Amino acid sequence: MDQTPGYHGRYLRIDLSSGISKSVSLEASFLRKYLGGSGLGVALLMKEGTATVEPLSPEAAIAFVFSPLVGSPLTTSAKFAVVSKSPLTQRINDSLASSGFALTGKKTGHDAIVLVGRASRPSVLVIDNDQVRLEPTEDLRGCSNPETQKKLRSRFGADFQIATIGPAGERLVRFSTISHDGRHAGRGGSGAVLGSKNIKAIAVRGTQRVQWSDQLALVRLAKELSEKSFGPATAKYRELGTASNLLTFNRLNVLPTRNFQQGSFQGASAISSEELGAVRNRTRASCAACTIGCEHLYSLKSGVPVRLEYESLFALGPLCGIDDSEIVLIASQRCDAAGLDTISSGGTIGFAMECAERGLIDAPWLRFGDGNALLRALDLMVSGEGLGQLLAMGSRAMAMEIGHDSIEFAPQVKGLELPGYDPRGLQMMALGFAVGARGADHNRSGAYEVDFSEAVDRRNVGPESAHLAVETEDRAALMDSLILCKFLRGVFVDFFHESADILRLVTGWDVTAAELRETAQRIVTEKKRFNILAGWTPSEDTLPTRMLQTAIPEDARSSLSTDRLASLIKAYNLARGWSEEGWLPEAEQCTL
Amino acid sequence: MLDRPISSPIHLVLRPLQVTVELFGIPRLRAGVSQSVADGSTLGEILLDLSRRFPSLGKSCIEGCNLKAGYIANLRGERFVTDPETELNEGDIVLLMSLDAGG
Repeated sequence: MDQTPGYHGRYLRIDLSSGISKSVSLEASFLRKYLGGSGLGVALLMKEGTATVEPLSPEAAIAFVFSPLVGSPLTTSAKFAVVSKSPLTQRINDSLASSGFALTGKKTGHDAIVLVGRASRPSVLVIDNDQVRLEPTEDLRGCSNPETQKKLRSRFGADFQIATIGPAGERLVRFSTISHDGRHAGRGGSGAVLGSKNIKAIAVRGTQRVQWSDQLALVRLAKELSEKSFGPATAKYRELGTASNLLTFNRLNVLPTRNFQQGSFQGASAISSEELGAVRNRTRASCAACTIGCEHLYSLKSGVPVRLEYESLFALGPLCGIDDSEIVLIASQRCDAAGLDTISSGGTIGFAMECAERGLIDAPWLRFGDGNALLRALDLMVSGEGLGQLLAMGSRAMAMEIGHDSIEFAPQVKGLELPGYDPRGLQMMALGFAVGARGADHNRSGAYEVDFSEAVDRRNVGPESAHLAVETEDRAALMDSLILCKFLRGVFVDFFHESADILRLVTGWDVTAAELRETAQRIVTEKKRFNILAGWTPSEDTLPTRMLQTAIPEDARSSLSTDRLASLIKAYNLARGWSEEGWLPEAEQCTL
Repeated sequence: MLDRPISSPIHLVLRPLQVTVELFGIPRLRAGVSQSVADGSTLGEILLDLSRRFPSLGKSCIEGCNLKAGYIANLRGERFVTDPETELNEGDIVLLMSLDAGG
């Protein structure tokens, strides 16, 4: 049978313990059910039985998954998903990154690369088309991401693309990242999973291209999409970057500050993108094959440019009470170099600052607003010295160690630290955080879009609106599986319909918008099924006690009771066709 | 038709309201200011006035009495609005911002 255009129809499975690798066929019907990226990744992990094993054990699989759109002329399609069981949450984790690694990884002739086992010593995994080998990397132990990539590029040559872990991943910090060219598969600790397999880096090179079903029409559509990507729907990302959220969120009192003890930050202006742009050199960059160019880099006093996103800015700034932009930039740079998720790093340190303030931990030096303390805590997190052992566990595990009800103000859901949206003032997002398969996450839910609209009263969301959280989650699931960048979403009028148009031209399938809605729902359900096998219970779908017992101090209307959150969750579960508590119907309980 | 001189007290009552407008993101970038005032008793009227005061803002973010796609208004930090007929009160604060809050 001819291969489905857009796909190679196989994935590469590598057992790092035995050194045996093999190509495994992927049936077209299976690919059509899960597409690629997050969807295909969770399906492959289910086949591997990863849900029921320890995430840092040799038995746990980690999948690098490409998609049918990778390598196409479509803007923002050069993305890959890293899917594993999270050591931070013990639940499904899918982290996406954009870079040439996706383009070259797919050219090895595979739709995904699945790793199991553990190499006998620290190694770089080299995949050169169908040839696979492990090379020792003891000389790279402790090297930062940029250092490692530079050295390996020098060793292997420029036609290899190299994804790496930093010292945080080597030390199994539970929220360590996988990095390539400054981009990260950031959340949930995929860096630790790779580190547990003794893999410091993956180097890929390939020459195998896929066909497109209707190349001429696809090129035409890609050109139209690129032209739209220069328009007003992406102007914010292009001209200001995501950091411009800071002042808006501050004005609406939803900017998490000092471990969510406040919803606005007095020092917000000093670290805003507007101020940074006025006093520092600013440059722009783009991910591979992207026409938006959302990356904004601001120069340190030394002149070194540092990439800064809103999430890094909020987490390493207001969340820790820091109003010194130089410190925030240095902290962001250190996280990138070491391979730390900036949200979880800032979230955990902000939590530790409050614990220190309350006398729950012996760290009098760790104070809100102290920039040097933030940098010292980051260094300890990576080295594992002193307080670093606790910090490297993330806020939930740290709270369990500390006790004294500190779990009530640990800023996490399912163990994943909250991103920069205070859920009390953005209550659709609150629902999205609570039910999210990978924990508190703004990329898999996107429900904040509803809060920033007339559809709901963001401070008094009722269960009748829960279906809107389902819709944003389904849209995100499809974007993460096709894969397209979410910053492109504003250019689509009817995303499911237009995605069907794209997928038809890529694959030749007679796919429809209705089918893609079902596909998105299937992918969300598959993540839930993974979590149930991993031990999920309904009590996990909640928010930190602080969020349910206190209003945002600056805005008494921004409060969310336990009962109302429960009514939102119930409505969400029913809208998904699950039980009120969130269990899957019996017919869907069976595995693949 | 008015039979009173234009400077009569009644005419002053009919003057449009003046509201404070705070600008964020792209609207701030285009207007070149973080805050302004605008005349109008509805959202549509103040958008028209803002277009006159800040042509660059008007060109990129406003279309007649409406905000272009990608932008949204918020009243007093409390509720999001797009309907140009939305009535405003003296002393109201209107926030103009990019619709997309993703980070």
